[in-house]
This record gives sequence, structure tokens and C-alpha cells, in this order.
Amino acid sequence: MLERQRLFWSAHPYDLEGTGEKFLRAVRANCAFHLKRCPEYRSIAQALHFSPDQLQTMEDLAKIPVLPTLFYKRHALFSMPRSRMAMYVTSSGTSGKFSQIGFDWGCVFAEIPMVLHLGWTHGLISPKPAHCVILGYKPHKSNRTGVTRTMYGLTYFSPPISRTYALQYVDGGYVPDLDGVARALDKLGRSVFPTRIVGFPSYLWFGLKRMEELGLRVRLPRGSKILLAGGWKQHYSQQVEKSVLYDLAGRVLGIPEEEIHESFGAVEHPIFYNACKHHHFHIPIYARVIIRDVNTLEPLPMGRIGLVNLITPLMNATPTTSVMTDDLGYLTPGEECGCGISSPYLTLLGRVGLGDIQTCAAGASQILGKGEGF
Amino acid sequence: MIFAKGTILPDEQLPQVLGQLEEDLIAVRGQAPLFPRVVIDACQRLLERLDRGELDALIAQYATPQLLSALEQYRHLLRPESLEYKLSVETGGLLSVEDRPFGRTAAVPLGTLLHITAGNLDGLPAFSVVEGLLTGNVNLLKLPSGDSGLSVALLKLLTDTEPRLAPYVYIFSIPSSDRSSLQALADLADGIVTWGGDEAIRAMRAMAPAGCKLMEWGHRLSFAYLSGAGRGEDLEALAGHIIQTGGLLCSSCQVIYLDTADQDQARRFCQSFLPVLEGAAARFHQTPGQAAMATLHGYEHRLALAVEGSAAQVFQGRGCSVTLCPDQSLELSPLHGNVLVKCLPRHKLAAALFPQRGRLQTVGLICPPQQREELCRLLAQAGVTRITSAAHMSEPFLGECHDGEYPLRRYLRLVDVEASL
Repeated sequence: MLERQRLFWSAHPYDLEGTGEKFLRAVRANCAFHLKRCPEYRSIAQALHFSPDQLQTMEDLAKIPVLPTLFYKRHALFSMPRSRMAMYVTSSGTSGKFSQIGFDWGCVFAEIPMVLHLGWTHGLISPKPAHCVILGYKPHKSNRTGVTRTMYGLTYFSPPISRTYALQYVDGGYVPDLDGVARALDKLGRSVFPTRIVGFPSYLWFGLKRMEELGLRVRLPRGSKILLAGGWKQHYSQQVEKSVLYDLAGRVLGIPEEEIHESFGAVEHPIFYNACKHHHFHIPIYARVIIRDVNTLEPLPMGRIGLVNLITPLMNATPTTSVMTDDLGYLTPGEECGCGISSPYLTLLGRVGLGDIQTCAAGASQILGKGEGF
Repeated sequence: MIFAKGTILPDEQLPQVLGQLEEDLIAVRGQAPLFPRVVIDACQRLLERLDRGELDALIAQYATPQLLSALEQYRHLLRPESLEYKLSVETGGLLSVEDRPFGRTAAVPLGTLLHITAGNLDGLPAFSVVEGLLTGNVNLLKLPSGDSGLSVALLKLLTDTEPRLAPYVYIFSIPSSDRSSLQALADLADGIVTWGGDEAIRAMRAMAPAGCKLMEWGHRLSFAYLSGAGRGEDLEALAGHIIQTGGLLCSSCQVIYLDTADQDQARRFCQSFLPVLEGAAARFHQTPGQAAMATLHGYEHRLALAVEGSAAQVFQGRGCSVTLCPDQSLELSPLHGNVLVKCLPRHKLAAALFPQRGRLQTVGLICPPQQREELCRLLAQAGVTRITSAAHMSEPFLGECHDGEYPLRRYLRLVDVEASL
């Protein structure tokens, strides 16, 4: 399993060209691992006539069995017993079905250098202690969502002095407390330490609007930052023009645009994607992205719009080597960004289909992962 | 958001509105009854305003392509002659006082209806309330989560147009998790109208007081039944229906049953039907997102079959697929233009459909004319509630029942009055 660690401990997080061989080797080992230990994955590979030795060049990555995120919502796939996993998390489906994904210790160990390298590259790491305001869930033993884990992790980029949560766990459920957050921010404006706000973009938007309504304006100390994180969905449901959100953050909190940082990941693909200074998500060395034709699923050339297929050898507990999200997106050559990062960047255009699909066919709402919307 | 007595109120006033509601409902019971004519006229005036373009701004605000096509499809149902026809068919003449040997029988409104509505069609909550109004009931409407606001806008327009309707419409946008408010509403209802899946129906059954009548419009399954080879235009219509509804409606075809036990014949059917389905996909999938949805769901289904070790055979098309299954059970298809095909000779219809008998809805029947009567009888006995041509599986018919019942009949109560001696 050292192939994976060699890749994740590499020094330059955007050197795609220089790490191609390491990536291939790690993916081959990862596929072989899952084929040996996960009977469902083995059945799929057999049906698709795949074996790891077919992976000889980067083009061959497209041959790895691709599992749609939809599939994990209906089938819990594991390549090791629960007792050997470091963690067991779910996607943040509040109603309906959610994915169940296991994290092994080797995966956690590989994530550490990834997060540190990227955190360092994107200027997120600071030795100066900071107060943290989390526009997300307060961790609780009943909450296994991946995003809760991510947000908690993001508070450690600087030594955390305090943590205030927008979603409090009360009597078996989460209740939003935006007014509590607004009051906390008002107080933190007078602290000598900077504040770091971590959260879903939509919560930031609602929180800032609420503060504006209440007539609250804060000048957070210099060095304060906003780290936006979330699953895929949170990035465009409640889609607000980024520039409007940034203006509002400047006006209400006194945080300038360059201190607002975006990242994303998914439970089924927990790679730490960060926006560059031009707000583009470049592909780091830990992952490769293939855009696939919406009719044939064949790989498409750079620039064409299709389904987004994400590949990483990160996880051993669940076969997530190659996953397909239900998003449409496209890739752009890194040089066109101009930020200095040479790896291509991924633009997400949103979920496939027409926004919220509703159904009255018996049993369909569960399949669509929507609960019953009653 | 709360809508009460013709006025939109903020959520903060929920306790006051709920606290006052019992008294308001009792007051309405003491008033002169609401005649259907008032409701029909109000709907007519609303339609006239729509025709004159006065509601264009409103439509622009809520118009999704789905809504515009629904409006086109359903608007004729709101015309006075349609509503009058619906009333006369569904109440079977009960609205006029009927003489009986002992005296007379009169139909009166049930009283107060609580509507728990689903969000599968924009504007559906408003339609449910109009049904309640036609029968003279007071309507408490709980909006589905994620409602677009269209229903409130429509009902506000209706009560503005006809202020006499205002005491009969209350709308609450409380979440389903607010059990105590929902219980308070259920406690005041004479009948609960639930639209939605099993979860919603079970929740409302648990909340309904013992004396409260339950009207349930649950989720349904529909299928096509093909006996013989089928005419080309019928198969094309079926393909169009499968792609256009995406399998998402109660009336959407999930399985194409063939009146044969011969798997080889079924395989030949799949091979010949696939290009027809692909043609429909090419015609009706207008965005890459729709094609992607079809491909994604079809692909996911293929993987699931591989994991289950199923003997089903997938015929993959462009933006659609046909799966030939070895069993006979009626089940949900992989949706979005991916349909199942199964052999089911007619003498096995009753047995195959038995497990789903409470959920059956439409059958799109394709067969030679001389066999239609026999097949209709077998299908009706097996538990379906609509038998249509393949083209009309999801078309509304004027005067049709709703899942085997006449809703308006259920929203009334009969009162027998003995003649004075």
C-alpha cells in the first residue's frame, strides 16, 4: 500500500506531469485491493471485463469501473470490516438515501500531507491563534456526515481558540442559530485575535443577510479569513453571484475578497480541491478528472461538457477509485487561468436534469435520494 | 408564511392564527353554505384574466417548462363546463336534495379539510383546495417543502377575485417536522387529504383523530400491456410517453408486459423497440442534462444487475435502455427513459399484480381490437384504475376518477332527514 503514500506525500501538489507514474501505480494497487476484497466490486469489474493490468498509461484510467454516486446511495460497499476502519461517514442527505463510505487508517494518513501541502500552497496555514465560527453542524456522535468532519478539520489550519457553531444539536436534531452567530461575530470584532469563518456558502449568504437586516456591522481583525466548504450541492443550490457574496462579506464583516477561500470535496471522493486566486478549482496530483459523454460515457477532450468522473487511489475501505457525480462540468487547460498553477481546472455547471425532480411514482422518491418531500 | 382569510401573514403569527382557528371554523359552520356556483364563477373570472394576459407577470415569475406544459394540459379542467361536469359526475346528483321513502337526503360539506400536499406538480396544492371549495369545505393547506409559491399566489388571486371564498382558505408553510402545529391542524379537521408517498400517508394516519376521515392519494405504479405485435404508431406513442414522463409520474409506464411466455419473442421485441425508444430520446431530450440523467440511471441499473448476479439482459441505447427481465413482478423502472420488459401471459395477470394491488393505476393497453374487452376485464379485476391507449397514459380525462375514486364524493357528508309526521 506504499504506492498510495508515495503519491500523497509528494512535494508539489499540482505537478500532474511529474506524478503520472506514481498515480498509475497507486491506482493499479488500489483497484487490485478492492477486487480482492469487495465481492460487489469484483462482480462489476467482471461484467465490464476490467482487470488492473489494463492500466498502463494515463489514458487507461478511463477503463477503471466507474461507480455513480447514485450507486453508493443504494449499495453499501466495503473492502474491509468496520472494525478495521478509522471512520465511517455518510453524505449529507437529510432525507432519503445517503452514501455510506468507510475511511481506512492509511487513507487518513495520506490525507494529512495532502491537506498540509494544499493548505500551505493556498496560504491557509497560520501559526497565529484564531477564533472559529462554523457555519455548519456542531459535531455530535450521531452525526456521521463527511462535511461535519471536513469543517471541523478546517478549524485546525491555525490554533483554534474558540468554536461557535451555527447548527446546534438540540434534543435529537439540528437547529440553526444564525442570531447566535451574529452576536458572536459582533463580539469577535473586538478581539485581538483574527476570526476564521468556516462554512457552507449558502449559510454564509443567509448569515450575512441576517446581520445586515439587524444592522450589525463588524470589522474583524486583520488576518481574518472565510473558508467556504461543502459538498457539491451546497455550491450551487441557493446560487448567489460570487461577487455579490464577496461584496457583502466585505461590507458586513470587513473581510476582503482575497481572504475568502473556497474548497470542495465529496464523501465519495474526499480530495481537498481548492480555488486559486482566480477562483478556479485546479486538479491536484491526488486525483484525475475525466469528462464523459452524456450519451455514451466515452471520455471527452478538454473543454467539452459532460458528466464529471473523479479518480483517486485514496481509499481502501470503500471502492471509490473512480466515481461519477451527477454533475455536468468541463475542464480547461491550467495555463488559461493565469494564476501560475499549470494543472487543468474543473468547472462545475450543476446537477444534471431540471433542478429538483419530484415524482409520484411509487418508490421513486427514495431512488432519487429525495425522501418524500412531504 | 401563512395565508388566512385572504391575507398573507408572517410565520411569527402562527400561534395566534392556530389559537383563533377553532373559533373561526365554528363561525363558518354557522354561516350560509358556500355554493359551487360561487367557486365556478371565481375560477372562470381567473381564467378570463389569464386569457387577457393579466397574469403574465405571475406566470413569468413561476414558469418552468414543466409548469407551462402542465397549464396547457390542465387548464381546460378549470373551465365552468368542466367543473360543472366534474361536480355532476362525482357527486352523482347528490348536491340536489333527493327524496327518499322516509323523507329526504341532503349532501353537505364534510366541514374542514386538511390538505397535506406533495410537490410533484407545481400548483397541485391549489388544485386540491379548489376541489375542497367546490364541495363547500373550509380548507387548511399545508404546503409541501420546497414549494415555489405558485399555489399561494393562485389562491390569493382566487380569494381576491371572490372575497366570499376568503374564510374558506388557510395556507400554512410549516415544515413536516413541526409535529405540534400539524397535530393542531389535524385535530380541527373533519377529513385529511394526503398526497404523497408511504411516509407521508403513514404520518398522517398516525395524526388523524379517530373520527377523522382519511382521503389518501398515494404514489402509484403504472405499466403498458402489449398483446400481439402492436401497431407502429402505438409503440412510438409509448416510447414518447416513456421518455417524456421519465417514469416519474404515477401514470408513467414502468414495465412493458408482453402477453407471452416466450423469452425469445420478448428478446426480439426489445431489439425492435430499442430504436423506437432511441428515436423518442433524440426528439424529446432537449438538454445534455436530460440525456445525462438517462445515461446515468441506466448505467447505475446495469451495475446493480451485475452485483445482484441478475439474469436480466440490458439493451443499451443512446439516452435510453430496455431491460429484459426474467421475472413478472411489477416494480419501479430505473427511470429517465430506462424501461423494463417482462413476459406476462394474460392468465397470470392477477397473480403477478397481486402484491401491488393497492398501488396500481394506469395501463397503456396495446392489443387487437377484438381482444380489448377481455383484457380490460382481466386488468380491472387485477386492480388497475385506468385503462388508456399508450399515447394517453398520462393525459387527464374530463370526468375521470382519481385512483379509483371520485374525490368530490368523498369530501361530502350525507344527511338523512325524516319527513315531519
